[in-house]
Amino acid sequence: MSTPATDFNEREFVICQISRLVDDKYIYWVGGGGEPMNSVLLAKRMSAPNLQYLTEDGCVGPEARVPFDPLMTMIASPANYRALQWGTMNYAADLAQLGYVDYGILATLQVDRYGNINSTVVGKYEGGEGRRFGGPGGADSIAALAWRTILVTDQQKRKFVERVDFISSPGFLDGPGARERHGLPPGTGPWRVYTPWAMFGYGADCQLMLQGIAPFVTLEQLLEEMSFKPAIAPKLEILEVPTEEELMILRTQIDVGGQVTDRGRWIELKDGKYRFATP
Amino acid sequence: MRILEEGKADYLKVDPDGYRASVRDHKPHQMVSKLMTHKEAVERFVRDGDYLAYDCNYFQRGPSSLIREIIRQRKKNLWLCGKFTYVACALLVEAGCADRIDIGFIGFGPWIARAVREKKCTIYEYSNAVITLRLKAGAMGLPFMPARSFGGTDGFQHSGCKIVEDPFTGKPVLLVPALNPDVSIIHVHQADEFGNARVFGTGIAHAECALASKRVIVSAEEIVATDEFRRDPASTSIAHFTVDAVVHAPFGAYPGTVQGYYASDPMGVIEAMGAMFRGDFTEYLKKHVYSVQSHDEYLQKVVGTEKLAEIRRRETIREGYAS
Repeated sequence: MSTPATDFNEREFVICQISRLVDDKYIYWVGGGGEPMNSVLLAKRMSAPNLQYLTEDGCVGPEARVPFDPLMTMIASPANYRALQWGTMNYAADLAQLGYVDYGILATLQVDRYGNINSTVVGKYEGGEGRRFGGPGGADSIAALAWRTILVTDQQKRKFVERVDFISSPGFLDGPGARERHGLPPGTGPWRVYTPWAMFGYGADCQLMLQGIAPFVTLEQLLEEMSFKPAIAPKLEILEVPTEEELMILRTQIDVGGQVTDRGRWIELKDGKYRFATP
Repeated sequence: MRILEEGKADYLKVDPDGYRASVRDHKPHQMVSKLMTHKEAVERFVRDGDYLAYDCNYFQRGPSSLIREIIRQRKKNLWLCGKFTYVACALLVEAGCADRIDIGFIGFGPWIARAVREKKCTIYEYSNAVITLRLKAGAMGLPFMPARSFGGTDGFQHSGCKIVEDPFTGKPVLLVPALNPDVSIIHVHQADEFGNARVFGTGIAHAECALASKRVIVSAEEIVATDEFRRDPASTSIAHFTVDAVVHAPFGAYPGTVQGYYASDPMGVIEAMGAMFRGDFTEYLKKHVYSVQSHDEYLQKVVGTEKLAEIRRRETIREGYAS
């Protein structure tokens, strides 16, 4: 059943990593669509059939009918099929504010050493000079209120920065105690950052720590794609590749049109080693 | 209450006493029929310079037909409530209807970016749920509401929020200013002629928008008898006295979905998203707004009965979307 795959792409790799964390003991708030949504949809079909997740429109525990039409990850009937409860946005935010949301799963544009999240602007905010994006949306509520936040982003130098250009949603801000000083509930905050190449956690100093690395990149390659050098765990875990079963479900049921996964480089198993495929 | 930190941006004036007075003086307390056309509703209830909220958005059970009518009537200087939305803000800004946006999440696109750089459009930063909480405060007749999110962000600096010392716990807590829009437009599954309305399925803040707004236009897929509401009062989402106009708008959310009634039209969604990302709605507006005089004409001439039948057919899930 769990045969390691020999061909997959970066996007599929990261979706499988997050999907394996998901457990039906907990309640998740899943931001938007993309990798976070695909991760929980995959988990529900693999290891967590009773998984409960929440979306921003107050949908509780749906058994979504996939695949979705473009952008129809919320409100639309297939996304909200067979839910336990239908609410609205304030209800979703209330549940998180009450402490029901164990984990939030979010995708972001840019992240920094303290896990702060930027989905607003790359470059200068003032005067509208930088390259502007949509804003925090629901991510701010998730990052502020979920007990633990799992973030997914690309492994690129301009996305992994010392300090984000704009804090759209809070990580640890500027270190221990900062969240509480700004009115956020204690005991919450970033927990993991996943990229197609790596897995990061946080040290007691609230700073990013590299904990796992994909088998198809070297530490040197990885650090090349970061603007700062993170702390590195004493024992670096080698992340496991997707299984054939995970990929089958992802490709044939969830992301059939490749809306989420049809980006990123391909990886192949060659001479006993995983490496980037040469086109 | 000690203020610890303050956002520096303008926000719509908070005036709960003024809002109460407007509810007393202008809301239709009596049951009266409010059925009218898109044209009449927008002419009478959307004014230049208004703060406009819409719920949900152009693609998901939103008042898309009313948004097109607002553009057709070339309303000016609107201040938009940009929560949980992709193209509607860009459409309204590019059409020359809006020049201020409170942002939770919007499809930004190059047109708004240029308008901001040229100081033709001003933006204020929030999150989606901070905006719906502002509407909730407005819907409760209160001046503000505390929240335990949004503090510590850069968005806070560009908002109207404050962090204060909570007088009960002594800890820092964020306050959001109440939001009472001048006008809200809300698309629902069913309404009666008086404005009692039902939304089936999830939503963003339709009930809050109706209660918080000085003027409310409801567009409905179906106009049903008042007895329908009396038969199942627990499923009433919006009460008639909050509503100023009722517009019968079958397929009013096109190209978006109305859950349980019809699916989205992916080609229509992609056409609008594409125009937004290119930063050029000229052709889109010509075809989808200016080429017709009314929503009925739009459905007949631009969308076509075949497409409408197709999206109706593609919506196969019915459970939960009826009373």
